[in-house]
Amino acid sequence: MATLDATDYNALTNDEFRREVRSFFESRYPEALRYLPRRVRIREIRDWWNTLYEKGWIAPNWPREWGGMGLDAGKMVIFLEEMERHGVARAADQGITQVGPILMRYGTGAQKEYYLPRTRSGEIIWCQGYSEPNAGSDLASLQTSAVLDGDHFIVNGQKIWTTLAHDSTHIYLLVRTDREAKKQKGISFLLVDLTTPGITIRPIRNIAGHEEFCHVFFDNVRVSKDALVGKLNEGWTVAKALLGFERLNIGSPRRPQYALMRLEMLGRAKGLFDDAGFVDRFTQIKLDLEDLASLYARYVEQVKRGEPLGHDVSSLKIWAMEAWQRLTDLLVETGAEDGVIEGAQEIAGVEIDFLTPFYYARPATIYGGSSEIQRNILSKYVLDLPSQ
Amino acid sequence: MAPEHTELLRESVADFVSRRMSITRVRALRGTGHEYDRDVWREMASLGWLGIVIPEEHGGMGLGLIDAAIVAEGLARSLAPEPFTAAAVLAAEALTLCDNEALKRELLPAFVAGEHVCALAWQESPGATDAGHIATRAMPFEGGYRLSGMKRYVAGAAGADGYVIVARADTAVVLACVDSNAAGLTVDLEAVADGRQFGTLHLDDVIVPRERVAASGDTAAAALSRALDRATAVASAELYGVMSRALEMSVEYMKTRVQFGRPIGSFQALQHRAVDLYIQQQLASAVLDQSLRELDTEPSATQRAIIASRVKARCSEAGVRIAREAIQMHGAIGFTDDYDVGLYLKRALVLAAWLGNAVRHRRRYATLALKREG
Repeated sequence: MATLDATDYNALTNDEFRREVRSFFESRYPEALRYLPRRVRIREIRDWWNTLYEKGWIAPNWPREWGGMGLDAGKMVIFLEEMERHGVARAADQGITQVGPILMRYGTGAQKEYYLPRTRSGEIIWCQGYSEPNAGSDLASLQTSAVLDGDHFIVNGQKIWTTLAHDSTHIYLLVRTDREAKKQKGISFLLVDLTTPGITIRPIRNIAGHEEFCHVFFDNVRVSKDALVGKLNEGWTVAKALLGFERLNIGSPRRPQYALMRLEMLGRAKGLFDDAGFVDRFTQIKLDLEDLASLYARYVEQVKRGEPLGHDVSSLKIWAMEAWQRLTDLLVETGAEDGVIEGAQEIAGVEIDFLTPFYYARPATIYGGSSEIQRNILSKYVLDLPSQ
Repeated sequence: MAPEHTELLRESVADFVSRRMSITRVRALRGTGHEYDRDVWREMASLGWLGIVIPEEHGGMGLGLIDAAIVAEGLARSLAPEPFTAAAVLAAEALTLCDNEALKRELLPAFVAGEHVCALAWQESPGATDAGHIATRAMPFEGGYRLSGMKRYVAGAAGADGYVIVARADTAVVLACVDSNAAGLTVDLEAVADGRQFGTLHLDDVIVPRERVAASGDTAAAALSRALDRATAVASAELYGVMSRALEMSVEYMKTRVQFGRPIGSFQALQHRAVDLYIQQQLASAVLDQSLRELDTEPSATQRAIIASRVKARCSEAGVRIAREAIQMHGAIGFTDDYDVGLYLKRALVLAAWLGNAVRHRRRYATLALKREG
């Protein structure tokens, strides 16, 4: 029996827990990093990482035996809601959200002992090496190879769109380990130190002008056999085990709601609410987001009840991302000539950046399974339509 | 996590629909002066549905909108022409909140029993989402009021036994109960797309004795706006029933219709269109569930109007879009009168326009929600 103490957050009522989380974020999160329209860099967020680490809150989803908060589904949703409410950036947290849970399920004892504490402390920062130049939506066609040579794999190939690889110390990789097997069958999951000889990282500038993602090249990189997670050729299963919160979180209405608030402030400052054309378009988008919030709330309730999310949750991602895009389209249009001026400006007393939100809404329908792939999923698994 | 009684109600509606509803019946009743089947109406009464929102003290079930919506959605899925939302929700809700207790004791049990079908005549101009300016005059005289004016777009007017008429005495709103055979009242019926009719009521010095005045002043205005908002949410549930069935028909058709040697549902262009309709249906479902729950907690009048406008805007738009695209998915057969999918489009069109279409409700939402937040 767990004893009831201050760190058993699941024993708190939802309201108590929400209050505690909110007050911590409000008092400790750096003001300058609230509601960043772009991905935060590790050098900016390191202090906040350490604050969370010292509080014991860096890994809310991990069990307490591994230093996590051990939150149940309901409390986890509250934690994320409060992050979004206060505009707390998600620090390069793929180690926390992805590598941690994967290792706990598939890792060896030695892998857990080595990687989990270091991932929590931020000594190790992870990036995800999945996509390749010729394996985007068709991820299972990936070609980066790992060939066994004694106690090592020799890795050759190229990963791309690797978010913040240049801020990371390690990469988790999907590699081809059996060329004869059909697509998904010959893939393995490896953990690789980015300082290993033969690895080259080259940042890619995105259309917002930020170096957010990278190429990662592998040229005869020797990786110990111990780096394999799960069984050889079963990496696809390992990678696919990550569902749930990631899929829910991506459909959260908070980010578009923040952009909507800026648009509303701008509209008021410019007197646009006397313009029936603007009001009609603004209201349509506002309702698109309100209705998104209703759909999101329904899935949150499902998660809180402990029920797994089905394929139907893809509709949340499609609607959230496409509504966000429509909103940023209207933002730029409302700015007119000002809308194409780069960087933050002051318009009628409101500080506003038109282009950065517009740019960052573009890949939202591409990453995490493009809108077209999501539609394929809904068509096949929910509407049960015949295969193409 | 529906309570047990809503599950039972759902089963009871499904059972009734499978026994009593058919497209053949719907087609037979299209364009007839009586519009619907009084026997079916009495059967609905015996199931308690006509008193679903009427308090128990007046013989009703005293349930909430969630329950009314279950009945409305189920009936709409089968395109039932019976005026459930118009009579058993809109008129019943309006009268329930009036303060003429003797009149309520007389009429509400007759509503519940299906013996007195009543329609609410509130509207005068198109595109209204609330009573707004009322031109119909209630001239006071010693024994009551004399009503003169015209009411339009009255759903459930065909075959109605009586009306609750919204009129204006100076600045006060008056809700008056008038029998359909009252002297000075003539009712013109206008055919609408789905085979039913809207009534136009011409009131020429119709005498309403004091005891037939259901409410006046603030009480009448509050009863009216609450009834309109609540019926608007139930009409949204009807739209949800119609869009769900239309989407099912389209997806089913896509699985069976073969062209170029394959079911047309295997073509990605059509699959993605179908998915977009599914997303609209899911949004409508989520908004509807949330709205009905919130309305049953009796929010403030402004909040109630915001909720009603939000749900009607989404359900009207989604309903018409899904039904319209259903025609395209079906190809030429969808354009024929013989094929049922067209009936769903027509019902969606009428329900979307009735009690305010998407554009009107978005404007009302903007007026209320943006003013409130600004």
